[in-house]
Amino acid sequence: MRRFTSLLLSALTFLALLGTWHIAAGLRIYPEYLFPSPLSVAIGILELFRSGDIWQYVLVSMLRFGAGYGAAVILAFPLGLLFGRCLLLWKAFDPLVQVLRPVSPIAWFPLVSLWFGIGNLPAVVIIFLAAFYPILLSTVAAVRNVPSRYLKVAANFGASRGKTIWGVIIPAAFPQITVGFHIAIGSAWVFLVAGEMLGVRSGLGYLIIDSRNNLRTDLVIVGIILIGLSGLVIDRAMGLVERSVKRQWGDA
Amino acid sequence: MTTPHSTKISLQNLEKCFTTAQGVVQTALSSVDLEIQTGEFVCLIGPSGCGKTTLINLMAGFEKPSYGSISIDGKPVTGPDREHIMIFQDYGLYPWRTVLGNVLFGLQARGVSAGEARARAMETLELVGLSQASEKHPHELSGGMKQRVAIARALAVEPSILLMDEPFAALDAFSRLHLQDELLRLWQEKGPTIIFVTHDLDEAIALGQRVVLMAPAPGRIQRILEVSLSHPRERTRDDFAMFRRELFNEFRLVHQQALQDAEYSI
Repeated sequence: MRRFTSLLLSALTFLALLGTWHIAAGLRIYPEYLFPSPLSVAIGILELFRSGDIWQYVLVSMLRFGAGYGAAVILAFPLGLLFGRCLLLWKAFDPLVQVLRPVSPIAWFPLVSLWFGIGNLPAVVIIFLAAFYPILLSTVAAVRNVPSRYLKVAANFGASRGKTIWGVIIPAAFPQITVGFHIAIGSAWVFLVAGEMLGVRSGLGYLIIDSRNNLRTDLVIVGIILIGLSGLVIDRAMGLVERSVKRQWGDA
Repeated sequence: MTTPHSTKISLQNLEKCFTTAQGVVQTALSSVDLEIQTGEFVCLIGPSGCGKTTLINLMAGFEKPSYGSISIDGKPVTGPDREHIMIFQDYGLYPWRTVLGNVLFGLQARGVSAGEARARAMETLELVGLSQASEKHPHELSGGMKQRVAIARALAVEPSILLMDEPFAALDAFSRLHLQDELLRLWQEKGPTIIFVTHDLDEAIALGQRVVLMAPAPGRIQRILEVSLSHPRERTRDDFAMFRRELFNEFRLVHQQALQDAEYSI
């Protein structure tokens, strides 16, 4: 029953928003082509569905996101394990990371487009930059938080270095690492649009830029909605993974 | 069977110092001499700061002595050893592994084949009465059951020494009594040498063949009490009470001394 109530509440909020939007658009403060009504946005969505372009936009963006995010995981995760285990190495690199981390991936735009030209690569690099630091930092923190008695037990039973890393450190750090992976998904997805504004001719970011250039503001809003929904889907999927990990570890 | 009077653990003039964050050197243990026989059950007891945990960590090889020597089976201790398994107050179980998986860990680390490891792990779980819970995860178990899993994990690799650092301190009184009896049964069945750190006088007298009373500042051995009662010991009997009284009086002496020392240093 409570679930039903909360569903009803969010549906009401959504309808109220649509109503307000509809009325605001009807006031004609801006002409229709600058401030489209919900109806024309719905028609825009249908248009994309009918032509089948919608899947193309979403799929291409997801692939780029997957590539950038995946590369960040492949690089940042082992690096985080290494830094987490070797304090001296981390002390050497920590200041560098602290300086680079607050720099928005957007600040890298000029260099990224000069170095990687046009095509998929610049967008992938931007997403990579956005995901890299959260994954690295959360992995380092997670590894350093592994309770020392877990390591004592491993040493006591004569576990090899490999067995200690794969059988103790990684599983012990895993719940905290998945939290970091989850956060990284959110912060990297935000930069998808920015990445796709750099010389690509496909994807959700391009849909927005291209529609603006054609003064199709209805499709700009469609792009915004699609980015929001896809982001939500990815986030929820990662949330499920995180929760199942926690349940098995007994933290939930 | 254990051969009488063969020395298992030998501590000679053992000293351990720590340097605090402020750069002050503190002596945690000073001139400790102790010989422990093969198959013996020895309890270490004392107020906080007496170095009993430091002492057991030294025997386990987790820490190195600053001075003096510590040898097991005639060989100096250089690091942790799979023959000398430590059991912690907070169990040290791996939460992501099942009960069976935890008991398997030590066997896997040794490279025992999968089939044999499983058979031995199940056998040991049977021994501690947990074969029904083999597929559970640690968070589904009570404290007493968790500690039995940790004991099973240790026994599965058939160690010659069990080092137990206040293993039952976090348990309720009933579980504690039950596990004390269980431990005695396992000790009589398997015959390992057991070093058992506790701060509970009754526990020390119920379990130990010898009770080593330690005193703080610096940590040292105050007195060694031979508890010449056969196991299992009836906790309500007069002779039990007699040993208890003797240890209690000595304990109070140590405590008063520690208080006086603290006053002098102010």
